[in-house]
Amino acid sequence: MLAGAGALIVALGGATAVWRLRLGLGVQAVGMAVLGAAGVIVVVGGDAVGAAWRAGVSPALGLDGLSGFFLALLAVTAVPALIYARDYLRSGVVGALLAAFLLALSGLLAARDVSTFLVFWELMTVAPAAAILVARPDAVGRSSVFAYVAITHLGGAGVWIALLLGPGSAVAAVAALVGFGTKAGLVPLHSWLPRAHPVAPAPFSALMSGLMVKVALYGLIRFALPGPAWLGFVLLGVGVASALGGALWALVQHDLKRLLAYSTIENVGVIVAALGASVLIADPRWSALAFAAALLHTANHAVFKALLFLGAGAIERATGTLSLDRLGGIARTMPWTGAAMAVGCAAIAGLPPLNGFASEWLALRALAELALEGGVAHAAAGAAALAGIAATAALALLCFVMVAGRVLLGAPRGAGAGGDGAAASGGATMGGHAATAGGVAASRGAAAPGDAPGGMRAALLFLAALCVALGVAPGLLLPRLAELAPVPVHVPTALGLDLPGAGSLPLPALALALVVATALLIRAGGSRRAAPAPTWVCGQPVTPALGWTAAGFTKPLRLIVEVVLRPRRTLALDADGALRYTRVVGSPAGRLLYRPAVRGALRGAAVARRLQTGNVRTYAAYLLALVLGLLALVQTGALG
Amino acid sequence: MIAVLAGILLAPLLPGTIQTGKAFAQGRRGTSPIQPYRTLKRLWGKSAVDPEGTGVVYRAAPAVAAAALLAALGTLATGGDALALVGLLALARGAVAAAAWDTGNGFALMGAARDLALAVFAEALLVLALLLIAQPAHSTDLDAMRAATAGWEIWSEPSHWCALLAFALVIVAETGRQPVDNPDTHLELTMIHEGPLLEYAGRDLAYLHWVAAARHWLILTLAALLYLPHADSVATLVVALPVLCVALAAVETAQAKMRILRVPALLGLGALIALAGAAAWPA
Repeated sequence: MLAGAGALIVALGGATAVWRLRLGLGVQAVGMAVLGAAGVIVVVGGDAVGAAWRAGVSPALGLDGLSGFFLALLAVTAVPALIYARDYLRSGVVGALLAAFLLALSGLLAARDVSTFLVFWELMTVAPAAAILVARPDAVGRSSVFAYVAITHLGGAGVWIALLLGPGSAVAAVAALVGFGTKAGLVPLHSWLPRAHPVAPAPFSALMSGLMVKVALYGLIRFALPGPAWLGFVLLGVGVASALGGALWALVQHDLKRLLAYSTIENVGVIVAALGASVLIADPRWSALAFAAALLHTANHAVFKALLFLGAGAIERATGTLSLDRLGGIARTMPWTGAAMAVGCAAIAGLPPLNGFASEWLALRALAELALEGGVAHAAAGAAALAGIAATAALALLCFVMVAGRVLLGAPRGAGAGGDGAAASGGATMGGHAATAGGVAASRGAAAPGDAPGGMRAALLFLAALCVALGVAPGLLLPRLAELAPVPVHVPTALGLDLPGAGSLPLPALALALVVATALLIRAGGSRRAAPAPTWVCGQPVTPALGWTAAGFTKPLRLIVEVVLRPRRTLALDADGALRYTRVVGSPAGRLLYRPAVRGALRGAAVARRLQTGNVRTYAAYLLALVLGLLALVQTGALG
Repeated sequence: MIAVLAGILLAPLLPGTIQTGKAFAQGRRGTSPIQPYRTLKRLWGKSAVDPEGTGVVYRAAPAVAAAALLAALGTLATGGDALALVGLLALARGAVAAAAWDTGNGFALMGAARDLALAVFAEALLVLALLLIAQPAHSTDLDAMRAATAGWEIWSEPSHWCALLAFALVIVAETGRQPVDNPDTHLELTMIHEGPLLEYAGRDLAYLHWVAAARHWLILTLAALLYLPHADSVATLVVALPVLCVALAAVETAQAKMRILRVPALLGLGALIALAGAAAWPA
């Protein structure tokens, strides 16, 4: 049934005419909604349907609670993405690839044997790569796809090893960690993610960041959990490193979608840290609640990251740029998109009463429980992870206040505002310097755009509403998630997060209090007077060039953590006599892992090439030596 | 309800008392402790001002920040969850910083950027300090924590002394006092919390002044009811809050403001102390 529906979807989606593309996307949306409903039924009903997981290779399909949850999550992000795509996509080929991608994601979740799983796993890798190549047929697109395919395939070997060995052994656990961790974008195997996610078309970006990395986490949960204690410590360490690293590197980005991709690494880190806590905590109730915290954050991140990526796509479509230094005033020129993006920014920054706050609170609470449980190792690891995740939340606040301020607020900024000529070449300019010295005359400034078309707007508003709903009433979801844990526990259903015998967070009351208090205080604010002048900038005329850049806003933090970021700064004189300042922040993973790996591979290739003389006689000598060697082995009886 | 009302009404007394104590220690005549009320009354009589080009975020931010602090006071009064306070403080901070972007004012953004950057370290330290004090109760429920930390036997635990030291640093960081921030100056080289207030006037500014005072109330009340020796809530607060104010005034007099980029080292030291405290928990 599933495969048939998928084939139909691909056939319809493959049509090139616009109305057929739209019809295809509509059929896909309906199909995804049906699949999502199936997932919800399985999660709520608690009974698995279809086959159980088996280690064999004969194809089998089925759904259980865990895959049902991820399938429902897929539908929740895919349906808005498809409705959005009706107004966004213009290429039938990309539409067909979107169908293939969705088929791969849902097939992977429904797979119940090794071969089906691996087929859909590879399809899931290939479909976005093809979409990037179709949508971005330039050098940037090609190099991103190369990095993406190369790194995920090398890492993907881990998935094959883990599946073929079957769960249980330490080797399989490490292989699963490497394989699924690569696809999930865990540090230090993440470096493909910020290259591939931003260059894909917006619906793909949303699904890659919202769902594809989560499907990798699904694999990790399925094939590595529950594990031994060392696995818990590894997950905790890798999770906190990913969270802090993703948040820090998101701050130094100048491209909105690239920033969002780094923030995906951060959120995956939070999820994996919660999974680590769930492995380590001995008390089954809290172990299950930590697991539920991971799944709740998975759901929340899928929602707000899809919202932000789709919103970024709408902004790019309207203004022609994604550069943080050229965007501005979107809340004024595109009110609906701006409002939805503002909700997304507040949610991802973990502000109450939105969904990011609910799941981050639960994750923090679970890590605190790990620390409180006793034992020096658990106390130290739990406390350090708790501090790390709290710092991550504050970094996310800094980052997304910057995004909201730079992109949504203020007046619409023209090309001169801060300028970023060097950003395209991988560097980044510092606001004031570039505005005066670089004198960049960008051709595509943020002109006055109109708001996004109806379908795109509807998708954004739906996801924004979901951010609010999941923030106010996550308690409706929590009991289901706690039952999906390796050792399921029963949690009573409530609106807020009501943890049995362990404190609670009455989120509906908190949200109500915040909204009512804000409304009353605004009402009590009394009369307002519009000042006849703009803000005071020491008496100078206010020009856009005086506006702050993203780089300026994050400067204090970047100075503090300079020893980690290790930026390379250059000041060069252009051919036309203008000074140009560039700053490039490298990646420690690149310095410590990828570059040595590439160097080693090239050196190995150089050694291997010495064998290849191109001389026929040498090759004949190789053959002769081989034959003689085999004969010698046969003679000694080693080859039977 | 009475506790929330007391917080709303008495909060401005704390910064006022600190200013008076500081002036006394420095040999000046200084202002009366009720000076903040006079300021609030004066501001309440004036209308708010919207600079050209600002929008709804600028207008709503003071109310959102005040609502967040009200919710935090409510959480404290009802014995809610300690970690929820972290999110509510972040909401107040984020609203003010977003308003700074809405005005585009360089000084406002400078202050907001510094505030959010230091918050990365302050928030980690706050969470660790709360974790340490949650250990006796094995819960982050504020009422349970208060009950479990009463009495004297807890003072024989090294980890409680670590918690006390860590929270002392939280106090200066979260209330914006020296050596982290100097609330008395508007010098752009040093200001943090005063920066985003520059564009505001009238009742908006009154809200923001109250938010600063309510932060004092929240943090010092936490110190009094969890970290310092405590018994009955009201009596503890009546004794402890003036003592804490005098202590802060003494620190402000004795200690110069730190360079902003040095502050994370100070807060990081606090985090290390807190981690040592967690490792020293009785098994």
